[in-house]
Amino acid sequence: MNGLLAKAWRDHRRTLTGFGIGLVLTELLYMAVYPAMRDSAADLRAMMENLPEAFRQLFGEDIASPEGYLRSQLFGELGLILFLVVAIGSGARAIAGEEEARTLDLLLATPARRAQVLRSKAIALVVLITTLGAIAFAAVLVFGPAFDLHVDAFDLATASLMLVLTSIAFASIALAIGAATGHRSAAIAVTTGTAALMYVVNALGVTVEALEPFRPLSLFRWYLSPLLLTGGLAPVNIAVLLAVAAIAYAAAHVRFGRRDLAS
Amino acid sequence: MFGFLGPNGAGKTTTIRTMLDLIRATSGHVRVFGLDSIADAPSIHARVGYVPGEFGLYERLTGEEYLRMFAALRGGTGADRIAPLAERLSLDITVKIRELSHGNRRKAGLIQAFMHEPDLFVLDEPTQGLDPLMQQEFHAMIDEARARGATVFLSSHVLPEVERVCDRVAIIREGRLISVDDIGELKSKALRSIDFHFEAPVPAGDFASLESVVSARAHGDSISLVVRGPLDEVVKAAARHPVVNVETREPSLEDIFLQAYRDGGTA
Repeated sequence: MNGLLAKAWRDHRRTLTGFGIGLVLTELLYMAVYPAMRDSAADLRAMMENLPEAFRQLFGEDIASPEGYLRSQLFGELGLILFLVVAIGSGARAIAGEEEARTLDLLLATPARRAQVLRSKAIALVVLITTLGAIAFAAVLVFGPAFDLHVDAFDLATASLMLVLTSIAFASIALAIGAATGHRSAAIAVTTGTAALMYVVNALGVTVEALEPFRPLSLFRWYLSPLLLTGGLAPVNIAVLLAVAAIAYAAAHVRFGRRDLAS
Repeated sequence: MFGFLGPNGAGKTTTIRTMLDLIRATSGHVRVFGLDSIADAPSIHARVGYVPGEFGLYERLTGEEYLRMFAALRGGTGADRIAPLAERLSLDITVKIRELSHGNRRKAGLIQAFMHEPDLFVLDEPTQGLDPLMQQEFHAMIDEARARGATVFLSSHVLPEVERVCDRVAIIREGRLISVDDIGELKSKALRSIDFHFEAPVPAGDFASLESVVSARAHGDSISLVVRGPLDEVVKAAARHPVVNVETREPSLEDIFLQAYRDGGTA
């Protein structure tokens, strides 16, 4: 198991370095823009008045407050996208990538069981995403004050946790599709498409009444609540995201455990 | 030393991958060392050295990192044999795998299968891509493993390789086991063709009556024979005429298959 885990973790080292640096730079850029953004808050508020209700709900009413700014910009947009790219890409690659590279046969011809291989991949994914979450958290906490972005450390931590859990849920879905089909591109395409659809349903569901009943099916409904960054821990939201990750993992376990591998 | 012979697409690789639980049989069970191929996979795999016909390696690792990983997956067994085996096959294990040539990648795959001194080798077309010198070294390694008491299960679609290392041969075709034979018996049963080129035309009848001749055909100064079994009579019959040239063709695998197929059908 140790050899497997070491191997699974090694696969992510470059991702961690690359995305870690990219993440910190992105955050710095966003934070550096904040003072200017806040100073034109009056204009912004006027602009917000004209935005559809959905956007205001989604991004929070006050985009000029530190919390509102972080929620709408980093946690709701580019930061989230970066995390989803890493999560879906790495999740899809974990099993299906090895199968397509024809390295899986030799790996599974060792005493390692399929379940152990899958588990090591999943653990490595969780560690990767959590580490990136910690980096995102630390960068805002440490550099934020330099740009007048003072946020409560606990709120920031819980928001980072929600971002991590959402990413893990999507990573788990991508891992499951990849492990079940052996096709990396299928896993990426289906998971990305699902994420996009979920995002739209959640965003439009706020105003479009017909979509409202479907909002709970969107993981972003559970992630991007208006409470993010201000409301403390939301146990139900955490439970939903964890449950989705667990169900996807269980499905991967069952299907990958008995499937014929491509040679 | 067990050879597993069949044309491309006959089901050799499928059989092997079922043995190693990489694919599952729709029905039936596979037992290796008397153990169930699915339930006891880890215990089986610990004692098997597997070289697939085609495989990928972790491009970003060095050969040494790659092989050490496999040692770790087998509980550390074989780590001390990495360096000696690499030296023997002259593989530089300090460079990244992505920089290795095709032949050198095959070597890494071979070391991976040999390093833990398994009881059973499962080799799927193991020498393709190896230069002749390395093929020789590989055969020496196989011989040593055999001397140690290991079993070798060698799958191939080329007869000479199987002939060289195996005692017994199974032939598979379209997923069905056609025959299991000693290699000598297989070859003696096989048809082979011989062309004699004489100075002057010779009647085909001189040969057609011989016991081991299956068919004889004359064209011009030549006679084409299809022979099964001992060649003694045939050569002596030919020697009564002035011979210009002799061409023999080793029985092709397809010939042997056809033969085995026919035998299997009538048995």
